[in-house]
Amino acid sequence: MSAQEKIDIDLFKVVFRAIAQSDDLDIMANHLTQLLVAALEIKGCTIFALNPESNELENLASFGLSMSYLEKGPVLSGKSISDTFKGKPTVIPDVNNTDRLQYPQDARAEGIGAIVSVPIIFYGRVVGALRLYHNDVWDISERDVDSLLVLAENIGLAMTYTRILNALKTIRYTVDDIHSIWLLGQE
Amino acid sequence: MAIQKILLAYNFTSLDQKAIDFVTSAFSHIEGVEITIFHAFTPVPEIDTEASLVTGKLKGSLSYLSQQIMQRENDLKSVTEKLALNGFPADRIHTVFRPRKKDIASEIINLTRETKFDAVVINRKAARITRFFSGSVSSKVVMTLKDTTVCIVS
Repeated sequence: MSAQEKIDIDLFKVVFRAIAQSDDLDIMANHLTQLLVAALEIKGCTIFALNPESNELENLASFGLSMSYLEKGPVLSGKSISDTFKGKPTVIPDVNNTDRLQYPQDARAEGIGAIVSVPIIFYGRVVGALRLYHNDVWDISERDVDSLLVLAENIGLAMTYTRILNALKTIRYTVDDIHSIWLLGQE
Repeated sequence: MAIQKILLAYNFTSLDQKAIDFVTSAFSHIEGVEITIFHAFTPVPEIDTEASLVTGKLKGSLSYLSQQIMQRENDLKSVTEKLALNGFPADRIHTVFRPRKKDIASEIINLTRETKFDAVVINRKAARITRFFSGSVSSKVVMTLKDTTVCIVS
């Protein structure tokens, strides 16, 4: 496949409008993976959140990959395309010709030919990764990789927004649970 | 109150298999008990495919995506067959496969209230950072539902 540019402003508009249809991070992230698979005509797409304690990548949304591949084992940031977690986008144009994969055999068995991994950065910290999987060898253009970085930054913003929203909801549930007897004499 | 109607939230993971095993061992011997296996899928985003060249190009790919999602409905039916093989009477197993409009916890809560389930079985994976971002399904279900038994398989 040649390094033809596939992501343009029209596609950006479609993607951003579609993900803005929902305020739920799961739905947003799932729509993003679906649209990237459809628009780029690739095999699959996954959005990972990075667990900073275990350094494990947890699947936030995925499309096009089998459950057995997604559950192949813990995906560790230091072993699986580790440059992503130094903030650099990484292109593996041919999975048969790389030592940067944690589970190369599983990738081949899944029918993956190439992987693009882009960091999701918020406030200078890597909070996750956006990964795209192609059936064949893939020569993605530099401009498309840049576009994916912009998309990933927006995922980072959405993740942070929903994190704060969830914290607020938890506080609301907790406050709702306070029995009025505890508030006697407090007003 | 005897448990007669059970909702099993299902998402095609290995933990869901654990939930199936739990439901079979805990409830299959109870006479008259009915189980509904529920999967809420994220529908393909609504896009006006006639609007521009790029959206027109997406038309074929989006219908392929829809087919892939619908394949899941057949996968859900194979889960009912597995339950029946494990000893659950086939006529007491139902499935609900529908698009999600809200977060998954709200979908479970709404269906439980609509159909008046006595018990809900959900699974929970330990120490997930994603819960930090998208919220805990099990916590929301437990905190919201009243007069319903909630079983969490972990």
